[in-house]
Amino acid sequence: MSDLLELAKKACEVALKHGAQFADVELASGRSISINVEKNGIHDSSEKKYAEVSVRSVIKGATGFSHSSGFSVDDVLETAKCSADAAQLAQPDPDFVTLPEPSEYQQVPGLYDEKIAQMSAGDLIQLFIREIDAAREIFPEVRVQGGVHLQVSERVLVNSLGIELEDQKTDIELYVFCIVKKGDDVGSFYDFDMARMEEDFDPQGLGAKVCQGAVGFLGSKSIKSACLPVVFGPLVTGDLFHAICASAGAEAIQRQRSYFVGKRGQRIGSKLLTLRDDAYIAKGIASGSWDDEGAVRKKVTVVEEGILVNHLHNCYTAHKAGEENTGHGNRWGGVAPTNVIPELGTYTGSEIISDTKEGIYVNMGSVSPHPVNGEISATIDFGYKIENGELAYPLRNTMLGINVFDLLSNLDAISSDYREEPGMMMPTIRVQNVKVAGAD
Amino acid sequence: MKGYLESIRDTAKRHDVQFMDVRLFEEDSTTVTVQDRKADKVSQGKSSSVGLRVLMDGAWGFASTDVVDSQALDQCLQAALEMAKASAVRVAHPGVVAEIQPTVDVVRIEVDKDPRSVSLAEKVKRVLDYEKAGLDCAQDKLCNTIVGYRDSWTRETICNTAGTLIEQETIRTTVQTAMTAVEGPVRQMAHERFSEQVGFELLDRISSKDFTEKAAKTAVSLLSARRAPSGQFPVVLHPSITGLLVHEALGHNAEADHVFNGSSIIEGKIGEQIASEHVTIMDDATIPRLNGSYRYDSEGIPSQKRIIIEKGVLKGYMHSLETAARFGVEPNGSARAMNGHCPPIVRMSNTFIAPGELGFEEMLRDIDEGVLMEGGHWGYVFCERGQFTCHAGEGWMIKNGQLGEHLRDVSFSGMTLEALMNIDAVSRDLEFLLPGMCGKSGQGMHINAGGPYVRVKEVVVGGQE
Repeated sequence: MSDLLELAKKACEVALKHGAQFADVELASGRSISINVEKNGIHDSSEKKYAEVSVRSVIKGATGFSHSSGFSVDDVLETAKCSADAAQLAQPDPDFVTLPEPSEYQQVPGLYDEKIAQMSAGDLIQLFIREIDAAREIFPEVRVQGGVHLQVSERVLVNSLGIELEDQKTDIELYVFCIVKKGDDVGSFYDFDMARMEEDFDPQGLGAKVCQGAVGFLGSKSIKSACLPVVFGPLVTGDLFHAICASAGAEAIQRQRSYFVGKRGQRIGSKLLTLRDDAYIAKGIASGSWDDEGAVRKKVTVVEEGILVNHLHNCYTAHKAGEENTGHGNRWGGVAPTNVIPELGTYTGSEIISDTKEGIYVNMGSVSPHPVNGEISATIDFGYKIENGELAYPLRNTMLGINVFDLLSNLDAISSDYREEPGMMMPTIRVQNVKVAGAD
Repeated sequence: MKGYLESIRDTAKRHDVQFMDVRLFEEDSTTVTVQDRKADKVSQGKSSSVGLRVLMDGAWGFASTDVVDSQALDQCLQAALEMAKASAVRVAHPGVVAEIQPTVDVVRIEVDKDPRSVSLAEKVKRVLDYEKAGLDCAQDKLCNTIVGYRDSWTRETICNTAGTLIEQETIRTTVQTAMTAVEGPVRQMAHERFSEQVGFELLDRISSKDFTEKAAKTAVSLLSARRAPSGQFPVVLHPSITGLLVHEALGHNAEADHVFNGSSIIEGKIGEQIASEHVTIMDDATIPRLNGSYRYDSEGIPSQKRIIIEKGVLKGYMHSLETAARFGVEPNGSARAMNGHCPPIVRMSNTFIAPGELGFEEMLRDIDEGVLMEGGHWGYVFCERGQFTCHAGEGWMIKNGQLGEHLRDVSFSGMTLEALMNIDAVSRDLEFLLPGMCGKSGQGMHINAGGPYVRVKEVVVGGQE
């Protein structure tokens, strides 16, 4: 790693020598192994080794980027020169003040595991074979697809103000997709397990669970269009809350292209809704003590009891707003959330369903608001009709439509239990008065 | 570089592989982003990657690296062989490849104005000019304007144990814009995008009137648009949405890897009537300059025009070397890889519904209450169930055969086989308006899609009113 640090520092110096006022350099390298499963067997195994360079040069706020592959000294230094040349042709931006300065960084434990790093393709294949066999015990004619992906990554980040950072991370994901058929009737389902540490990785049982899920989607029906309460399962809620926090990113708000423009300090939803961004969760998939610009990550309460209380910042947006940098910068000037943690409610997910006389349960669907106008128009990809507090039958060709502010205001339950993936806490929620469109 | 590839190919042959190919992918690119009257980001990139694939004892192994030299290629071959050995533990369907005649060719680019010969300063100026034109036509209502430019040069070198050795270059130029308008509490965005395999001359051909001014006017118009209705409606699809529908609802289902692994709703239906007689669908990679076109696919097979559905009858699928062998048909040049780090997989190119004979007004005439959808944004499909979703940037109500109120962005969904059977009218237009990227198995790939105006008797519209 130290050789790479020296190389990155040299590249930074080259950018400055060619006119950059500020510069930062990231060298990212790693190795990944992927197993691809097709129709109950291994289709292919692959290994990828990568080495990527990205350099940013800034001259009076005008930003030039350059990127390349491979760590040959000549190429890396040429990439640095290119970024300075590009910055000469961009236009000054007085809102840019400076890049982040060195700081104290609190380490997040559990982001690298040598046991994961040492796993072979053969190890990954054995993990998946077990799931194929388990799925076939549930439904012998099932077609199992999916795969396993393992990545070991290293990163060096330096900037012209003295930041010198290095980290190593591991991650592994196993995902299963099952298809079952009875005549022309087709059921399918999907699920996954992911982790940074071997101790958090326990995909055993996923094959059987997903196969049962696919069988559960046989006999799907559409419904009549209506206005109904909708219960969103953990995977939908996780994506939805992440999208809400992404919209609290100051970059889009300052640029006037977010539905959260002018909403800070205002009520945007139910008092039940509190969302925090926390990059310091041990072993978290989105955890880390510094962002892609090298700024210290801060824990941020984004929504508190329904009030939008904070924006997420990178270096540029923080200076522009005259606020503290929260350390949510990404490599290309944007802002992105890390681990999103909601405040939990009183009742379990099952109790919320039991308490719903008639409604819809959405297990998966693209329920994400349009980032500018907040409109949600989504297909219920995997969902059930709720009748008398129970999941009655699976749905097909059914959609929902609602604006994000109506959704958050009509939120009347957040579960006390939740699905956990490392760093992610995903509860069940219920939203009243959602327009549901069916084909019946 | 070709020498390295041929050398490693010859080494692989000594390992008794059934098949091996190696691909070198090189790319140079320039990006300019103008936002709110300022070219605040300019980017230049250069990358190379090499991917090597072996088929041994019916099992596939693949390895890739960013380092392109003989030592790295040797390591890549060893890794690919190790990967194939690992795969062999549980191969349910032994890998195969179709027999092919070797092809040796060099494909050079032919563009009027090579972007590499245009100064970065000129590129910045032209993008600023586009933005200014958009601002000038709707300045008081626009709160954010973004105009992006990208050009790229790529060279893909393909070498395999069948004796194929192809080097092909491409140049692609793209301009895109997102304009946001605001009025009181209402905020709306509109997009336009052009991407073709041409040089800098694209910017001479695309007027700001058709690009940034159009997006600006659409964004402003959407401020007074109402929310879309909720329920089941007859719809007329603008060619941009026709492209989205044909790509998502049918195209992915016609990729033979999906068909083989049981995740296609049209598995086993060759020769059957699966759509109305108004429907003829093709995927044509040979149309000059279009975003999804190419001379050879990433397995070195010449590109083709593929007829998927003819007058409602399913005629064939899109194939790679492997799926062609599995289905016992000739390869039709449909396997592409995003770069050296990815193996070739079955992909669409330029997918479209063939035009019919009706005029646009005739399409509306029989609709009492329906929706015209326009501006294809995004979509996806669960192939195995045939359930698709398409998102339109805007729409119009159709009342008593006439266009009515303007509608905001909305999604609609349907079941592939029902929707294809429910197409009851097709206009005489033909436009390709979806020059974008398609994602599959972690690979983004250049495509285009389009067709005429198409009328579908019923789809589910996910609105709010």
